[in-house]
Amino acid sequence: MAEAALDESAAEAARPPAPRRATAIVPERSVAGRTLVLLIAIMTFLSGVTLGGVVLVQKSAIAWSSDVGREVTIQIRPMQGEVMESNIRTAIALAEAIPGVTEAHAISIEDSQKLLEPWLGSGLDLSQLEIPRLIVVELGDPKAVDLSLLDRDLKSVKGATLETHAAWRQQLNTMAGTLVLSGVLVLALIVLATVLAVVFATRGTMASNREIVDVLHFIGASNAFIAGEFQGRFLALGFRGGLIGGLGAVLFFFLVAGATGSLVPEQSTAQLGFLFGRFSLGLDGILGIAAVVPVIAALTAITSRMTVRRFLSQTSGL
Amino acid sequence: MIEFTNVGLRYGHGPEILRDLTFRIEPGSFHFLTGPSGSGKTSLLRLLLLSLKPSRGMVRMFGRDVSSLDQDSLLDMRRHIGIVFQEFRLLDHLTTFENVALPLRVLGQPESAYRSNVTELLEWVGLGERMDALPPLLSGGEKQRAAIARAVIGRPDILLADEPTGNVDPELSLRLVRLFAELNKLGTTIILATHELPLLDSFDFPRMTLSDGRVTIHG
Repeated sequence: MAEAALDESAAEAARPPAPRRATAIVPERSVAGRTLVLLIAIMTFLSGVTLGGVVLVQKSAIAWSSDVGREVTIQIRPMQGEVMESNIRTAIALAEAIPGVTEAHAISIEDSQKLLEPWLGSGLDLSQLEIPRLIVVELGDPKAVDLSLLDRDLKSVKGATLETHAAWRQQLNTMAGTLVLSGVLVLALIVLATVLAVVFATRGTMASNREIVDVLHFIGASNAFIAGEFQGRFLALGFRGGLIGGLGAVLFFFLVAGATGSLVPEQSTAQLGFLFGRFSLGLDGILGIAAVVPVIAALTAITSRMTVRRFLSQTSGL
Repeated sequence: MIEFTNVGLRYGHGPEILRDLTFRIEPGSFHFLTGPSGSGKTSLLRLLLLSLKPSRGMVRMFGRDVSSLDQDSLLDMRRHIGIVFQEFRLLDHLTTFENVALPLRVLGQPESAYRSNVTELLEWVGLGERMDALPPLLSGGEKQRAAIARAVIGRPDILLADEPTGNVDPELSLRLVRLFAELNKLGTTIILATHELPLLDSFDFPRMTLSDGRVTIHG
């Protein structure tokens, strides 16, 4: 029994060591890791916030444009010798006769009073004033409605004009487009800054690991292998930094949405909500920010690989 | 195996360090490369390692003109050449085992494929008990034996050694050269650069002497 145990232990000693996790050829501490992770986290955060802002603006602009586009307004000015109520009824009838119009209704005197309150104050008796009346015309399919036909028909109603909000929509679309373009430009600059930072970090790492690179060359490692070793290290750093920055950006939007609800007065919140959709990114916005993380990580890895390959082609004797 | 014809080497626009080198080295031979400090021994070894291109002349290795080879072929040829340095050049963060296994690891081989070979080689060079030690904990002689093991683990046809005994005592120097001689008996072509005359006199191998940028072969 004892002999068998001895044989076993002798065999154990003679056996080659069990496979272990191979030490990384490029030591982790030799890469300026913490600084680079922080820098990538900041860049990802900025990218995420910019992207989220662009998503918010675009979503709001589309919603706005769509809402405004589903309505046109007929304005009837008071005219000498004309009966306002009769003109309103005629205008409504003409509007409802146009194919694609789902409904047309006049805004009551009380509602008109509410609309004017911010400018004229409350408690005003509009019956004493001759003010234009508004008819809201709701469109089923804005593209299918021939608004020029309605405009022509309304010429028979004295004092009636058609307001299609086209100028507003145009301005809104231009503004939203400018903001989106600015966001894309900012994103491009952030990407460029990230690339430059990674290039400098990689060059520094290569310089401090020159001995390792030389040894790898001497023992027959290809440039692709050496670049892969450095790329792997930078990919990990890129992911770590990207994840921190991406989570930070999502958290930022949640905090802003919460702060808007609790710090801003209810009336203002409603207006902000109307403009920016209550700062809610939605699933697509969050997915967009999440997509920034692998993009930044891949960008870091690819940039470092290209920098290493360039460095090696300059220094390798082959 | 190695054929130099009128090879010259200069760095940048500087003077020619090696001039009109014309020699031939047969497979399985052992040559000492000697000459005073600064005579160009290391530069010649770098030419042989294909990490430098000659400024002029023709270098043929393994029957092929080196200048006509593309990057991949050069890399493939380099893998048939092992090198040992005076300053060992082991990677301090890798264990002795990992350092020796490195040439196989860069070829993409899994550890399971080379574990027993590396272990056997480390036993052969007397480092069986030091496999898990990091280089800073090894003595000079142990480091050099590890460096030799790393150079031969890929079974190179040519083994170059640049002053491999420069950092060890005379007794260990003799033992190291005997180790090279053993490898030579197994068929490896060896070129060992040294300027230690007692060492040269202890072995009866041909000498390539570099002087004034030119080489002469004796013996």
